[in-house]
Amino acid sequence: MLNMRWSSVIFLILLMVFPALCRAETADLKVLLNELKIASAQTRTLSSRFVQEKHLAIFSEKLLSQGRFVFQGPDSLRWELLTPVATGFVLRGSRGERWNSLNRELERFSVKDNPIMGVVAQQLLAWARVDLDWLEQRYHMELITLHPARLRLTPLDPGEAGFIDYLQILFADNRRHVDEVLLMEKGGDSTLLRFTDVQLNIELPEAIFSPPEFR
Amino acid sequence: MKLFAACYTGLHKRRRWLVLLLLLLAVGSVWNLSRLKIEESIVAMLPDGKSRSAKDFELLTKAPFARKLIIHLRAAPGAGVEGLLAATDQLRASLPGELFSNSVSGPKDMGTSALMSELGDYLPLLLDRKELRQIAGQLNPESVDASLAADVTQLLQPQGIALKNKIRRDPLDLQRLALQKLRFLNPFPGVRVDKGHFLSRDGRSSLILADTPVLMTDAAGGRKLLDAFNRARVQLPEGISAELLSGHPYTVANAETIQGDLRVVLLASAVGILVVFVVFLRSLRALPVFLLPLFSMAAALVMASLWFDKLSGITIGFGAVLLGITIDFGLHVYFALQLGDNSRPQLLQAVSRPVLFGGLTTLAAFSVLLRSELPGQRQLAVFSIAGITAALLLALLVLPHFIGKREESTGLGRERNPASLYARRPRLRWLVLLSWVGIAGFCAFAAQGLRINGELRQLGYMPPELQKAEKRLAEVWGGGRNRALIFASAADLDMALQRNEQVWQSLVEHGVQDESVSLAPLLASRQTKRQRVDDWQVFWRERRATTEDLIRAGGEKYGFSPDAFAPFFSGLDNPPKDLGIETLQRWGLGRLLDNLLLKDNNSYQLVSLVPDRPELISRLDSELAAMPGVALVSQTRFGKELSREIGIDFSRFIIFAGLGVVLLLLILFRRLPEVFLALLPVVTGLVVMFGAMTWMGLELNLFNGVASILIIGLGVDYGIFMVCHGQHKEYLASSRAIVVSGLTTLVGFGALVLARHPALHSIGLTVLLGISASVPTAVLVIPAFQKKAG
Repeated sequence: MLNMRWSSVIFLILLMVFPALCRAETADLKVLLNELKIASAQTRTLSSRFVQEKHLAIFSEKLLSQGRFVFQGPDSLRWELLTPVATGFVLRGSRGERWNSLNRELERFSVKDNPIMGVVAQQLLAWARVDLDWLEQRYHMELITLHPARLRLTPLDPGEAGFIDYLQILFADNRRHVDEVLLMEKGGDSTLLRFTDVQLNIELPEAIFSPPEFR
Repeated sequence: MKLFAACYTGLHKRRRWLVLLLLLLAVGSVWNLSRLKIEESIVAMLPDGKSRSAKDFELLTKAPFARKLIIHLRAAPGAGVEGLLAATDQLRASLPGELFSNSVSGPKDMGTSALMSELGDYLPLLLDRKELRQIAGQLNPESVDASLAADVTQLLQPQGIALKNKIRRDPLDLQRLALQKLRFLNPFPGVRVDKGHFLSRDGRSSLILADTPVLMTDAAGGRKLLDAFNRARVQLPEGISAELLSGHPYTVANAETIQGDLRVVLLASAVGILVVFVVFLRSLRALPVFLLPLFSMAAALVMASLWFDKLSGITIGFGAVLLGITIDFGLHVYFALQLGDNSRPQLLQAVSRPVLFGGLTTLAAFSVLLRSELPGQRQLAVFSIAGITAALLLALLVLPHFIGKREESTGLGRERNPASLYARRPRLRWLVLLSWVGIAGFCAFAAQGLRINGELRQLGYMPPELQKAEKRLAEVWGGGRNRALIFASAADLDMALQRNEQVWQSLVEHGVQDESVSLAPLLASRQTKRQRVDDWQVFWRERRATTEDLIRAGGEKYGFSPDAFAPFFSGLDNPPKDLGIETLQRWGLGRLLDNLLLKDNNSYQLVSLVPDRPELISRLDSELAAMPGVALVSQTRFGKELSREIGIDFSRFIIFAGLGVVLLLLILFRRLPEVFLALLPVVTGLVVMFGAMTWMGLELNLFNGVASILIIGLGVDYGIFMVCHGQHKEYLASSRAIVVSGLTTLVGFGALVLARHPALHSIGLTVLLGISASVPTAVLVIPAFQKKAG
């Protein structure tokens, strides 16, 4: 009887406190998003190294790779794996080239003709620019921790939700770039990207958004 | 011809009955006109029957996109793709659905359609032995290693998430062999798909395809269609233009050009006729002569509408102009009665002979059109025969009662008769004869190079802006609309598919598969599918263990788990799904299917598009002719075939008309010299006409072919009149009648030379040339050979 009374009391307290907690979380999320928006507005160029860790069921072991990511506003990208295989793509606006050192082939593409590359480019640009308006349209956002700033994004688009469970994003302390992205797939596979040596607003060589030459 | 003299005497006091008869004819004609069904199309001028061109034409109308409305949107330099696509959607939305039905601006997004994810499941049904051999060549450690390395590379990249399951199901990327088959379905080589829209490679053009209930040959409906399109087009944003390409703009342009031409031509004719009237007749008594063609036409309309359910507008228009020649019969009767010295019955008796035989020869000439391949020409034959018969009867039985009393001759008189002139000046005779021989000889030599042109499009008015629009469409999107077609037909779909496969095999053997469009690589017959499945199963039974070993070994190297490619191997065990029409529709290929697979009540037809190159067409033609149910149609060959048929038709016309005319002349004159003399104007007219046409670089076509029949009819008439004139003691004023009738024909037909429409212009020019030679030959050359009796 006593337990039941205590349970009721706790339940009532929780009932009163929970909306306040939710409001606090929403308010924190808003503050964070606002901070991210302000910080990202200052980003003109971004250059970083990354380490990619893939846990895929079809591989016996995790796949480790390293690469380079370069962005220049508004819509130029270079995504490049350096090990274990040199592969990647550059994008300038809606057109780009991708390459693969294995077959030494260079292929031109347009994000309009290639829907998969279109989605990939859109995602990478959104994260590089921290395009929160676009992200808020496509994902339900949840604040996990404010310090460090960690968000959990659940896709709203049914197609994307069909194979992506959620994304977890860790922002740098200065809020000016992404430090870590964890992508959880529906079947349990995951990809973790850790960005290092991040340099903001540096002058980039012109050739950075051109593909390598295969001879 | 005492009959007509007797009739004249008998009816002389019963003129009221004649007036009543004419009124009845007029009322009957007006009543008939009100219920007449007029076909406003050019179909009547295209072959029906069983000729090759008739069959080809029927097949050409089934060509993919031949019945479609194609709207070509273009963005000015600087206008972005987004703006172009938005304008495309805006235009599509603002086109009225009742005129522009089933409009599409692109396929579904191919990347996200079921096609891309499902195609691999249908490999057993899609791959042939050659492609299996390609796979066999891939089943070695090096190639498998390369495929798996490519898989790892893909999986490491961001897009790997979306490709993971596909790689598990198809680690060797066998699906690419099936994907290659899709390229054979693309009728526009220059097309790409952007956000579900057709977009050109340069990103500056888009397309909207639509159906319409408006017939391609319906000028009034076409005008409504173009007006609706123009209303929607003006709303387009600046920098975006749109052009409608289909048969309708041509139909409308032709109808409007003809309307404009008719205004000019009728005005010129009216002025010309007035001048002829003022110069040569100058009397109100001659007015009934000018009413004669009107009553002849009324009779022709009544007869032709009783004969045919529907009459072509072209037949009526052309026929009405043709019947303008019936004024000649009236003119001969008028001049004979007005200028002759004898009594009316005597003069009528004398003039009725050449008028009747002149009419009969014209009838003989036009009756050969009854055997034409073109329904419009057959209608024209009935129309002309009825009109000429009526004109003969009216000229000989009715007209003499309405042309008033005789008056003293003025102008050209007996004194000016060429025969009497030649008698006074013998050198003039030789001058005329030498000139005639020189001109006719030169033209006969030149006429050998006359070409026949069956190209239907050249008969129509082709506005330069429409030609440019067609050219732009071909430049941007490729020549999808101008390819040759191969139809594989059968009563059941499977047989049609088998025949289509034979056609495809032939195209592959000729090495033109990459330039062709066909369903055969994707949609196979039951027999072929069964064969492919058997081959697939045998193939993997023999190679499965080896492949498993290769993939396992390669997979280990790259760290793949042992069951990473289990979906691939279990897929080899799965019974293949059927790949039929429903599957293709589900993949978003329904519209292409509608264009390449045609179905009517009795049969299925599969259409393949091939390059329309003469050397390829002639090679394919002989090969495909041996395949039952297969027909090849090419625009260029159709033109040549039609030219050949027009040539045969025309030769037949000339031979039969010539035989009929010669027979009638033999009956009339019973002496060869007179027969030859009577033939001089027609032979000269034709020779000069053909020679001058060749010299001017003109070609013989459907319309001026008919006009040359007219030259035969008229030329023989002139010959008969002049020879009869020479034989009769009575003065029949034939020279004057011929000159005046020649002039009325020239102003009536020759005025057509002012028309912008190529068909009308060519008729005008032909008649101008032929009559200009026939009349002087009749009036000047025949008297040079013949002395006047009495």
